[in-house]
Amino acid sequence: MEKILFKEKLRQWVDTLNDYEVLAPAFADSVWDYARVEAETEIDLSHTNTVNPPKQFAFPQREVFFRFERVDGVPRLTPTVPDPKPTLVLGVRPCDGRGMPCNDTVFSKEYRDPYYWARREKLTLVGLACNEPYAPNCFCQSVGGSPHSTEGLDVLMTDLVDRFHVRGITEKGLEVIERGGDAFDRVKDDDAAEVEKVHAAARSRPQRPVAEMDAVAKAIREQFDSPLWEEMARHCIGCGICTYLCPTCHCFDMNDEVTGPNAGTGERVRTWDNCQFPEFTMHTSGHNPRGDLAARLRQRVAHKFLYFVENHATRQCTGCGRCISGCPVGIDIVAVVDRVTRS
Amino acid sequence: MVNVDELRSLAAELLEQGQVRSLIGYRRGTAGVLAEPCTIAAPGEAETLVWDPTCLNNLALFLVEERKQQAAASAPDKRPVGVVAKGCDSRAVSVLLQENYFKREDVFILGVSCEGTGVIDPRKLSARLKGRWPTRVEFAGEDGFKVSAGGDETLVPARELLADRCLECREASPRLNDVLFGEVVTERGFDEPFRAAKAAQEATEDARWATWERHFDRCVRCFACRAVCPMCYCPECVVDSTTFVNTPGTSAEEKATRIRWCERSANVSESAVYHLTRAIHLAGRCIDCGECERVCPVNIPLRLLNTKLEMEAFQQFEYEVGRDFERPSLLSSFRDEDPNSFIR
Repeated sequence: MEKILFKEKLRQWVDTLNDYEVLAPAFADSVWDYARVEAETEIDLSHTNTVNPPKQFAFPQREVFFRFERVDGVPRLTPTVPDPKPTLVLGVRPCDGRGMPCNDTVFSKEYRDPYYWARREKLTLVGLACNEPYAPNCFCQSVGGSPHSTEGLDVLMTDLVDRFHVRGITEKGLEVIERGGDAFDRVKDDDAAEVEKVHAAARSRPQRPVAEMDAVAKAIREQFDSPLWEEMARHCIGCGICTYLCPTCHCFDMNDEVTGPNAGTGERVRTWDNCQFPEFTMHTSGHNPRGDLAARLRQRVAHKFLYFVENHATRQCTGCGRCISGCPVGIDIVAVVDRVTRS
Repeated sequence: MVNVDELRSLAAELLEQGQVRSLIGYRRGTAGVLAEPCTIAAPGEAETLVWDPTCLNNLALFLVEERKQQAAASAPDKRPVGVVAKGCDSRAVSVLLQENYFKREDVFILGVSCEGTGVIDPRKLSARLKGRWPTRVEFAGEDGFKVSAGGDETLVPARELLADRCLECREASPRLNDVLFGEVVTERGFDEPFRAAKAAQEATEDARWATWERHFDRCVRCFACRAVCPMCYCPECVVDSTTFVNTPGTSAEEKATRIRWCERSANVSESAVYHLTRAIHLAGRCIDCGECERVCPVNIPLRLLNTKLEMEAFQQFEYEVGRDFERPSLLSSFRDEDPNSFIR
């Protein structure tokens, strides 16, 4: 299904989705991030990519698995599988759209994670094609994506200056477009050509290039013990920016958090964790098999470009460039895979 | 003016003659407009060094890393490490010396003066360009910065792009140095010291708490603020019980009964504990390099927490962090005239 949405009617469409929690990018604190669309919100879709990817809406940083308490000396567990409102995210960039199928695979292939899927099934992603690379470190085309990829999205919108071209991709996407009714106009004969022109122009804009993408996986395997990793991680400060902001990083930790006056009352929670923290692989013995920053950089890169490929036949990097732009010391995954491949 | 060629030739000379074992400086990165830290050991690499308003990192952080590696080395190279340092960075070196983290002879400071300007605040650039990145930022004399973005070149007055810490800077050239490039500069009259911290405390207590509650709620607990801080060198961090070192001798009992001061959940309560604990642990130690705030991916104004405490240290004890490494630190010194109204 294809429709036209004049920009002044965007709000009218959103208003038809009154049983949804609608989120859209908003520029606050000098950074674009998703925020809830309220009655008075002026939706602004001129965003660069948001600082946080939309993975949080299916895989929040903190998820309660169950609550525990002691009743008459007997432990009692209360399940807490979430039952969220349907949630619609506007303005998802195609790189982030492509991140969701990676996460879907992780949370369903061997075990269907009920917490993830309770949120994921209620989630509708309305994408917005990139008419140009909005960040200096975009490289979606090097990793098999495109500035107008529909993968992982339910709807793809394309900005045509005064209006959006809106394409329904999944059942969920068709439903939210149908709900819009009069907010949408019919597609005119020359719109398809215009959309294609905008998409082609976007594809031709220069991005960060990965020279030999197909050779990367093998090269990482071959360079596993290379001193290059140490050199490239020399100034790594070991923070969690690259992984926490990544649209596909999904590692987590589980802890019991006491909420009551005694240790018998609390919650078991899943929280994001990441391979750049030393304790991620710390054994109870005190031995750490990934004991230094070089090993941790290698793990992050190898997981995305080698292990995920071996396990799931697709790369786990969508070229959004957040890990590069956000790195406090300039560690650059494009340069890293290039150097490993060329050495 | 800082002459970058002179900086490069001195760096090459120091390495050539073996006066330093390596040298930490800035070079152009591949990741975008900002310069990146580099450590060079060969004289030929000195020509990659740069100095411009995008040299944000406080390189004293890497002296801490060097020292940790030295401590672990079986035959450590005793020669000093060279480091390029701005005024604020040199104050960090002072504090590390004051705390005996390493010795004066372990470090050779190539001071660079920020002179009329200083370094840019990426969040001010972001606000100006609404999230887009420029391709280049250069010094443009006293007037400010030349910013190239989207094919256009704009001259932006220094005040509009300078980091708040630079606007409030009291010492824009490194007092502690072995050689200084550029002019000796103290205050530059952009803003009075602690202006932002003073302005922030004008609000009511309720409004301040609402602001911080919102920020702590946004925190993703990537710990970049801690990781980038040269003063956060503890191998074990109190807010993060999983960093507590386990050795083969650590008993199961000890591991099981460790107090968790701060849970892993990134919510308001836990993140408030984290940030406030960090702020208190930096009281009298923060030299206001602003790196914690700069690296924060969601732009939490962390510097306000630290400068608030430094303001108290200054107002109550006339203590200026990093001014003189031979003087005792704030927390290890006592003067008869120190105020004691808070002791009851």
